[in-house]
Amino acid sequence: MLSFVARRTAAALGTLLLSSLLVFLAVQALPGDVATQVLGKDATPQAVAQLRGSLGLDRPAWERYADWMRGALHGDFGTSLVSGKAVGGDVAQYLGNSALVAVITILFAVTGSLLLGIVAGLYRDRWPDHLISTVSLVGMSVPEFVVATVLVLCFSVALPWFPAVVLYGPDATVGQLLPAVWLPALALAVVMAAYIVRMARTSVIDVMASEYVTTARLKGLSTWRVVTRHALPSALLPVLHVIALNVAWLLGGVAVVENVFNYPGVGKLMLSSVQNRDLPVIQAIALISAVVYVACNLAADLGAMALNPRLRTRGRT
Amino acid sequence: MTPLVSVNSLSVAYRSGGRDVPVVREVSLEAAAGRTLALVGESGSGKSTLAAALLGHLRHGSRVTGGSVEVDGRDVFALPAPELRRLRGRTVAMVAQNAGQALTPSMRVGRQIAEAGGDIPVIDLLDQVRLPRPAELARRYPHELSGGQQQRVALAMAIAARPKVLVLDEPTTGLDVVTQRGVLDLIAALRDELGLAAVLVSHDLGVVAHLADEVCVLKSGRVVESAPTRQLFARPAEPYTKRLLASVPRLDDAGLALVRESGERDIRPRAVVPGDAPVAVSARDVTVDYGRSRVVHGVSFEVRRGEVLALVGESGSGKSTLAWALAGLRTPSGGTMTHESGDLARPAQRRPMSLRRRVQLVFQNADTSLNPRRSVGDAVRRPLRFFRTAGGRAESAERARRLIADVRLDPALADRLPAQLSGGQRQRIGIARALAGEPDVLVADEITTALDVSVQAEVLRLVDDLRRERDLACLFISHDLAVVRGIADRVVVLRGGVVVEEGPTEAVFAAPRHPYTRRLMAAALEPDPDARPPVEVTPDWADAAQEGDVWTDHGDGHRARRWRPADTSATPDAPDTPPTSIAEGVS
Repeated sequence: MLSFVARRTAAALGTLLLSSLLVFLAVQALPGDVATQVLGKDATPQAVAQLRGSLGLDRPAWERYADWMRGALHGDFGTSLVSGKAVGGDVAQYLGNSALVAVITILFAVTGSLLLGIVAGLYRDRWPDHLISTVSLVGMSVPEFVVATVLVLCFSVALPWFPAVVLYGPDATVGQLLPAVWLPALALAVVMAAYIVRMARTSVIDVMASEYVTTARLKGLSTWRVVTRHALPSALLPVLHVIALNVAWLLGGVAVVENVFNYPGVGKLMLSSVQNRDLPVIQAIALISAVVYVACNLAADLGAMALNPRLRTRGRT
Repeated sequence: MTPLVSVNSLSVAYRSGGRDVPVVREVSLEAAAGRTLALVGESGSGKSTLAAALLGHLRHGSRVTGGSVEVDGRDVFALPAPELRRLRGRTVAMVAQNAGQALTPSMRVGRQIAEAGGDIPVIDLLDQVRLPRPAELARRYPHELSGGQQQRVALAMAIAARPKVLVLDEPTTGLDVVTQRGVLDLIAALRDELGLAAVLVSHDLGVVAHLADEVCVLKSGRVVESAPTRQLFARPAEPYTKRLLASVPRLDDAGLALVRESGERDIRPRAVVPGDAPVAVSARDVTVDYGRSRVVHGVSFEVRRGEVLALVGESGSGKSTLAWALAGLRTPSGGTMTHESGDLARPAQRRPMSLRRRVQLVFQNADTSLNPRRSVGDAVRRPLRFFRTAGGRAESAERARRLIADVRLDPALADRLPAQLSGGQRQRIGIARALAGEPDVLVADEITTALDVSVQAEVLRLVDDLRRERDLACLFISHDLAVVRGIADRVVVLRGGVVVEEGPTEAVFAAPRHPYTRRLMAAALEPDPDARPPVEVTPDWADAAQEGDVWTDHGDGHRARRWRPADTSATPDAPDTPPTSIAEGVS
C-alpha cells in the first residue's frame, strides 16, 4: 500500500517537473524575449543587450530554468512586465478569487451530479432517468458562455437577484465578491455536472447488473444498503477520474466564464497577460495549471485506492 | 408432507424489440425438506431464470407472464417488498454461479457474511463450511481467496440465517475437479445437517448424479422429463435426456464417444499413430517463470504428427503456461522447445513467419478471443492474408468459407458477428482461425471448458476428425481427466509445474500410479448416482524424487514420479489442503 502511494506521488512529482520544463521551453521558443517585449519594436540592439544583461537573460537556459524553479518553489515567479509588481503576489490574489468560484462549483457540481447520476442509474429506463439524461445531454452540448449568458438573462436581468457583472478589482474582499460568485459557479457547474452525471449513470447501471449486487439483493438487504455498501464503492471508481479531469478543466472553463461576468479571477488575468505578452505571468499560470492537473489526478488515484482493496492489499492482481 | 417449494405452471418472458420472448414456459415442480431437486439443462434452457424466480428475482426487463412460485406457503411474486426481503435469506437463500463475481470486491468477506443476518457468529459459519483459520480468513477481501474458498464463503453467507431452502446455481462450475468434489461434499453435508430443501441448477450431469434426489430436465424453458435421479440415469425416457447423458465423457471410454440422434453412444476407436510418425514438437526441461516465482519446473514431452497429447492438472499446475510458451506468448526461462523446422524458445513475434504459422493456439474462451466488431469470416480471413497462405482478396474469402465448412459450420455464417453465434459455433470459428495458418501443431487450451456437454462432445469430435484429416499434432490441455480419456493418445499429468505421471492413455487410466493422478480420477464425477471412485486414493504421500532418480518406470512409456507414503508426523498441515490452492486464488 505504502509503495503504491509512494509510486504515485513520485510519478506526480516527475510529471510536474517535466511540465515545468515544457512551460519554460515553450516560452523560450517564442520569438523575442522579455527584453524585446519591454523595450518594444523601436529599441536599439544596444539597449536590448543591456537590459538582457541586467535581467540575466544572457546566461545559459538551464541556469535560468534552475533559477526560475528555485524561485517558483518559494512562490517567487519574477516581476510582471505590465504592473512591475511581483508575479507571485498578483497571481495569488486572482487565484484566490477563482478558487472561491471553483470550490463552490465543485461542491455543487460533484455532489449534485453524483446524486443525479446515481438516481438515473437506479431508475434506469424510467422517467427520472429520461429526465436527468436529457437535461445532462443539453448541459453537455451547450458551451459554458451560452449557459452563463442565459443565466445572466434569467437571474440578473429578468429577475434581479444576482449582479450581472463584478465591479470590483482583484483586491476585492470575499464579502464583496460573494454575491457575484453564484452565477459563474452555476454556469460552470451545469457544464461540468453533465459529464459526471452521464458517467455515474452508466457506471451505476453496470454495477447494479453485476452478480455481486444481485447476490446482495438476494440476501434480503434493503435497497439503501445494497446501493451504499455494495454498489457505490465499485460504481464510483470510474467516475473518480472523470471528476478529476473535470475539476482540472475548471481552470480553463473559468477563463471564459470569468470574462462573461467580468470576475477578477485567474482566467481573466491569463487572458489579459496573453494580450499584453506578460511572459512571467503566463509562465506562472501555466505552471500552476499543471500543479492543479497533477494534484487532481493524484487525488483520484488515491481515492481509487481507498475504494478498491485490490490496490491496497498486498495481493497480486 | 407439503413441499417447501412449489412452482405452478410458471412462465417468464423478457421484452425484446417490442415483443415478449419466453424464457420459462409453464414449468411446474416441487421440492421438499431434506431433498435435493436438480434442474438440468444447457445454456438457454431457462434454468438460471427459474432458480432466481424462486427468490422472487427477475432480470431487468423480464416479467412473469403466468403461474406462481410458492415458497414455504407464500406466493413470492405477490409479496410486498419488505416481506420479500425477509423471505430472502431467512427462508430461501441462493448460492450464485460464480463466487468470484458474486462477492462484493470492496468488502471484507466476514462483513458480507455478517450482513446476511442470523445470530450465528461469522467465525462459526466459516468453520461450518470447513475453512481453515476462520478468524484470519474473515478479514480478507474476496480476491485474496482461491476459487474454492470463495465458493465456501458464498455457502457460509447463504446458510447464515438458517434458511429452509437453498438454491444453488451452478455452484461448482469453473472449479477444478478436486475443488469441485470438496464443495459438493460440503453442500451434501450441510443439507443433511440443516435439513434443507436444496434446488440445484447445473448443466453437469456428474454433479447432478452425485447430489440430487430428483431431476428435472429443461430445454428451451420447458420441462422435458422429470424423474427420481436413479431412474432418470438408468432409464432416461426422452431422446433429449438420452443424448445429454450420452454426451458426458466417461473415465472408461476406450475412445471418443460419438452420440447419435437417438442418444446411443458409439465408441470410435482411437486413431493409430504410426510408429514412424515424425516428432512435431519436442520440449526438454522447460522452465517458465512469472517474475521471481517459477511455475513450470523442467517439463519434457514430445508430440508426434497425428498424435494428441493431453496435459492434465488443476489450476496452478502450469499447464496453460506451457501452452502459452509453446504458442510463443511466454518465453521460457530455461530448457529447449523445438519444432521440426525451427526453435520455439523465441516469442511468437521473433519466430520466422514459416514457423509462426505452424504452431497455432486455440483459446479457452472463444467469446473473448474474437473481435466482437468484426465478422467471423474476417476473423478467419485475417491469418490467411497475414501468413500469405491465400493470394488475392477473392481467394482468401473463398478459403475462409472453406475453412468454416471444414469445422462443420455453414459457410453462410461468415458474415455474422461473434455475438450472433452460439458458444459452440464461436469455438469452431476459433479452431478455423487457428487452421488458417495451415499449422501442423494445434495447441488447444481448455477449449471445451466453457461449453455445454453436447456441444463439448461435438467439438471433441471435430478436433479428433481434424487431426486424422490433417495429420495434426495436438497438445490438448484440460483439467478434466474424463474429457481427455476419449481423445488423447498419451497423457501427461502436471502438478505444481512438475510432471508426476505420463504414459499412453490406456495404461494411465487402467493403472494410475501416482497418488495425484489417482486423486484426479477419483474426483471426476461420472453421470451415474451409484458410481464408486474407480481407484483407491492415497491421502498422505510425499515426493521422493531425487537428482538422477526421478521416475518409476512401468513399461511402454508409462512412468510416474517417485513418491512415498508420508510419515504423518512430518506434515502438520491438513492433508486435504493441496499446496496449490493458495496459488490458485491469485492466478
